[in-house]
Amino acid sequence: MPLGPPSSAVHLQNATPGFVSTPGRTPTSVTVHPVALFSILDHYLRRTDAQERVIGTLLGTRSDTGEIDVRSSFAVLHSETAEQVAVDMEYHHTMYELHHKVNPKEVIVGWYSTGSNLNTYSALIQNFYTQETAPHQAIHLAVDTGVVEGEQAGVRAYVSSPVGVSPKPENAVFVPIPCELLFKETERSGLDLLASASSTLSSSHPSTDLDILERALRSVSDMLDRVLTYVRSVLAGEVKGDPAVGRYLMDTLGSSAEDLEKGGFNASLQDTLMVSYLANLVRSQAEISSRLALTSAAAS
Amino acid sequence: MAAAPSMAAAIAATLPAVSTTPAPAAPTYEAIPASMSKAIDIEADIPLTSVQLDGLVVSKIIKHSREAQGGNAHGLLLGLDLDGTLEVSNCFPLPHHFNEEDDKSIKGVAKYQASMLRSLKEVQADDSIVGFYQATTLGSFFSQSLVETQAIHQERLRHGGVVVVHDISQTARGNASFRGFRLTKAFLDAYKRNNFSTESLIDHRLTFSTIVEEIPLRVRTNALMSAFLDTLATSSPSPAGAAPSLASSTTALPPSYSVLNLGGVGVARNLEQIVEAMDAYKTEEGNLGYLQRQIAREKARAEGYVMKRKEENATRVAQGLAPLPEEDVSRLFKIPPEPSRLESMLLLGRIGAYAKSVEETSSAGLVKMYATKAGNGA
Repeated sequence: MPLGPPSSAVHLQNATPGFVSTPGRTPTSVTVHPVALFSILDHYLRRTDAQERVIGTLLGTRSDTGEIDVRSSFAVLHSETAEQVAVDMEYHHTMYELHHKVNPKEVIVGWYSTGSNLNTYSALIQNFYTQETAPHQAIHLAVDTGVVEGEQAGVRAYVSSPVGVSPKPENAVFVPIPCELLFKETERSGLDLLASASSTLSSSHPSTDLDILERALRSVSDMLDRVLTYVRSVLAGEVKGDPAVGRYLMDTLGSSAEDLEKGGFNASLQDTLMVSYLANLVRSQAEISSRLALTSAAAS
Repeated sequence: MAAAPSMAAAIAATLPAVSTTPAPAAPTYEAIPASMSKAIDIEADIPLTSVQLDGLVVSKIIKHSREAQGGNAHGLLLGLDLDGTLEVSNCFPLPHHFNEEDDKSIKGVAKYQASMLRSLKEVQADDSIVGFYQATTLGSFFSQSLVETQAIHQERLRHGGVVVVHDISQTARGNASFRGFRLTKAFLDAYKRNNFSTESLIDHRLTFSTIVEEIPLRVRTNALMSAFLDTLATSSPSPAGAAPSLASSTTALPPSYSVLNLGGVGVARNLEQIVEAMDAYKTEEGNLGYLQRQIAREKARAEGYVMKRKEENATRVAQGLAPLPEEDVSRLFKIPPEPSRLESMLLLGRIGAYAKSVEETSSAGLVKMYATKAGNGA
């Protein structure tokens, strides 16, 4: 699942797994958790008028293979003028300690900034964060909020390497590396909720299980219609059939449900109904019991 | 604009943790006299009718709940109240404290909370506490600690604060569940008097379903996040030549159909939990019954003693002697106070919630089964 427009990110393969424990090996890919992304967007919204971009610290975990998983982020104060750049290091340390208390597994992996502008100051800040993450390398996440016209929203990840005859902190080459959105399947429904909230423009209520089921069934039915139209048009000779699509359709629709036909449906139905009745019974018992607790003293 | 400093002042005054916050670079406002702050602070008079969760809060709570050990995740909600809507714009997790009694850990949490609020304020984030969130499994969230925390909040915070309950198991099933609650007036009254005897329950008409009242909850994403989510959900332009039906395979957020999974996952676990809760309830009932019998026994003994003394006095009067003084019966016989029924009520609430969750799962299961049958038959 790529984040943002196709880029020229360098896809490095870690060919030598025996080489893994070397600290400071170059990160090969970055995955971003939605929470980190949303925190960055929130920070961007809350910037002051004077701030052109906001920066902050990325927290996450490193794997042995050079993959970095960005799990959360927090905002850091900084100021940029034509002459100098300043990062509130004390604030950064305090916040890191606070986060560390709740989530000891997450360590500093790099920093983020909004906008796609990489300049000398970026190199300086990168230099600071490299000291923070030493002996590992720091990554830089450039989040394009898509607010500036002509720029597409997206996230890019970079690693840096020194450049020049004599290494100076303000000189660095930012090398793009692949960056993806990653979350656990169990967190998926939360994103669906947010997506539905954003598509209706106003706010949305969390819905019941059945509502969501209905929505999923409708969308499946829509997709079946779409497939049907495609197949019909292929059969009619209007469109040239794609063998790959045909193969996928065969795999998907060919799955049999023989078990259902052999009385499995009825057995399962009885089980479900039994559980449902039982649950009803328990609930009414609980209600009655709590009511009885109210009357017992009055009677005595 | 006059309301803004007053709101801060009011909240700072009600929360001791925040009041220590020094504001280094902030412009200094003239202190508002206590008598005036009430007049200026109109928001406090508008009753709370709904809770609005920001998208950031939703994702933060889900992440924290999933990662926390033992499913016991809780944290504080930050935000503002505006025109009867409580807008929750940020939240942060609280460290899991291992020992409730440990004085040091409580102090540590308070310190953590204060410095987190201070830090958030520095980056222009909202820094007023409006409630807390709690992660649960299978729909049951009644527990002593939740009720106690909320009772404290409801006393200290301006609108009494809310508790947002997030159900992990339901979220894993494909429906992110967030519900807002607060304690009812009747329960709070009984709680303040620390009296959960049968009479008090009757007076307040308390059953487990009247402990908390639900506040309607909405989820809102700000424009920037909506735009970003849309970008993630729409497919990036596929390479030329690919079939149109394959184009959507490159989105960062492909559509998900986990709700269509047929397996009745968790039903067995859910039923187990019902049985566990019932066992606990049975034990609690046994304890209550034992205490009741003890009370009855002591009362009978005390009454017997009083009767005996009366008879003795009657005979003494008949014989022309001075009656013995009436002794204080309550001093001689220690009648234990009536036991609190709070725990048993909470347990009943748990059983009810578990049962409801099973019911919902099975009804959704029925729909899915018929859908499968229809799909198979067609």
